[in-house]
Amino acid sequence: MKLAVMSCIHGNYEALTTVLDDIETHNVDQIYCLGDLVGYGPYPNEVAALVRSLDIPTTQGCWDEDIVDGLNACDCSYPSLLAEKRGKAAHVWTDKIIHPEIREYLAQLPLVIRKDDLAFTHGSPQSQHEYLLPELDGFLALERVLSTGADVLFCGHTHVPYVRTLDEGSLRFSVQTDSGKTNSEQEFTTSIKRVINAGSVGEPRHGRPNATYVIYDTDADQVTLREVEYDYKKTCAAIIDQGLPKIFAWRLANGMEFAERADDPTHLCERGV
Amino acid sequence: MHWAILSGIEGNLEAYEAVLRDVHKQSPTVTDLFILGDLIDGTPEGNAVVDRIRNPKKGELMPQVCKGAWEEQCLIVRGLMAEPEDKSFIKEKGGNMLRQLWDNVPRETVQWFSQLHFGFAELDCLLVHGSSLGVFEKLTPDLSPLVLLDRLARTGSNRLFCGRSGQTFKYQLAKGKLAATVATLDSVKEEQNYDVGDRLIIGVGNVGRKQKEATYTLYNPETDKLVFRTVRYGKNTGFG
Repeated sequence: MKLAVMSCIHGNYEALTTVLDDIETHNVDQIYCLGDLVGYGPYPNEVAALVRSLDIPTTQGCWDEDIVDGLNACDCSYPSLLAEKRGKAAHVWTDKIIHPEIREYLAQLPLVIRKDDLAFTHGSPQSQHEYLLPELDGFLALERVLSTGADVLFCGHTHVPYVRTLDEGSLRFSVQTDSGKTNSEQEFTTSIKRVINAGSVGEPRHGRPNATYVIYDTDADQVTLREVEYDYKKTCAAIIDQGLPKIFAWRLANGMEFAERADDPTHLCERGV
Repeated sequence: MHWAILSGIEGNLEAYEAVLRDVHKQSPTVTDLFILGDLIDGTPEGNAVVDRIRNPKKGELMPQVCKGAWEEQCLIVRGLMAEPEDKSFIKEKGGNMLRQLWDNVPRETVQWFSQLHFGFAELDCLLVHGSSLGVFEKLTPDLSPLVLLDRLARTGSNRLFCGRSGQTFKYQLAKGKLAATVATLDSVKEEQNYDVGDRLIIGVGNVGRKQKEATYTLYNPETDKLVFRTVRYGKNTGFG
């Protein structure tokens, strides 16, 4: 079975339709979407309506959650006051134009979707706001996969696609309880697990403006990272026309993050993420 | 440095007094007294415990106190904290305790609870009531070692002291290895290797829940020596 997994469309209708066309050419059996249908981009209603109309199983992204529940990302989500100001401006704009039925659709999206030995989520199984970066401690990444009960965990949120294979994991531990007895040392081992990040359709940050997503062949256990050119200038123009912060258009045109990097993806904060 | 680490007094002033007596007779002398939350249990008796903690007698250590599940729930009842998704604490204690918290905890005490820290990060140690994820999470020795490692590694600590379970336990992650590879659009495969050294998760016990028997923990961060103390208190009745 061939799956296409996409994430972080961010109101970029042009990128979404181009990626859907590309998926069409690869004889894919099923498409999954990892959320962040809205935010940053100029067409949140259109993007969400299209994903919903195609009946694509979709998890809730951090932007989708914030449009439903109100902006409740912790202060530490923003690396600078400037980034916070821009993020809030985009939130206010999106919140204002989003249609009630689209908000209801975003509200019922799940945090995690399970299918056989695969799990799909936006950030991590613990939170839409947690970044599973490729350099995250391997044991922590393994814990996130195992917490879903799956062998392969698909995620997004970082906007940069990758395939991470976690192999040969072992951990020795012992327990001493109040009776004073120490249990003999035990060993915990796991089979190979994978984290596959689908990148971003509508706001890529891998250094080029092209949309990214992944194709996964479950029979061959083969992952293909796809990079697709689209007319990003159209979306950039729409961002400026709608009065959204111009930096979003600059970022889209360059495919890079600008002072928005999460410094500490495993930080301790009030949200518990 | 010699730390005494307590949790879960739960309104039992007699138990707290007994533990304090035990703490003050330790040699080497205890230099720091940490209380990892759950001072109260929703009953009016909790107020005397809070008062005693906030006003130590002359010559006693001033306790460093962080929030426990009871204090957090009290703040939620008063609308000072958002409702968590985790409702395990209410299920565990019963819905009636919400009313008890409202009725029995004075407004001024609630205000004091709101100023308590989530936990303490001292040297390479994290001291919290629940876990690094939140006050309501209960860390026990039967959890997956990966979950326990995660709660430690999130904060960059090597020692995690917690009290929510009420148990005294020392969970040692002795040795771990993991190999990984990462492939991106621009790089074929990058190899990664991870090792886990000596790390501990420590359940510090519970002072007030069990009548006539309190448990707490002594720890020396310089020598890494850990001692679980059991303090029996109260008069024996009958001929036993």
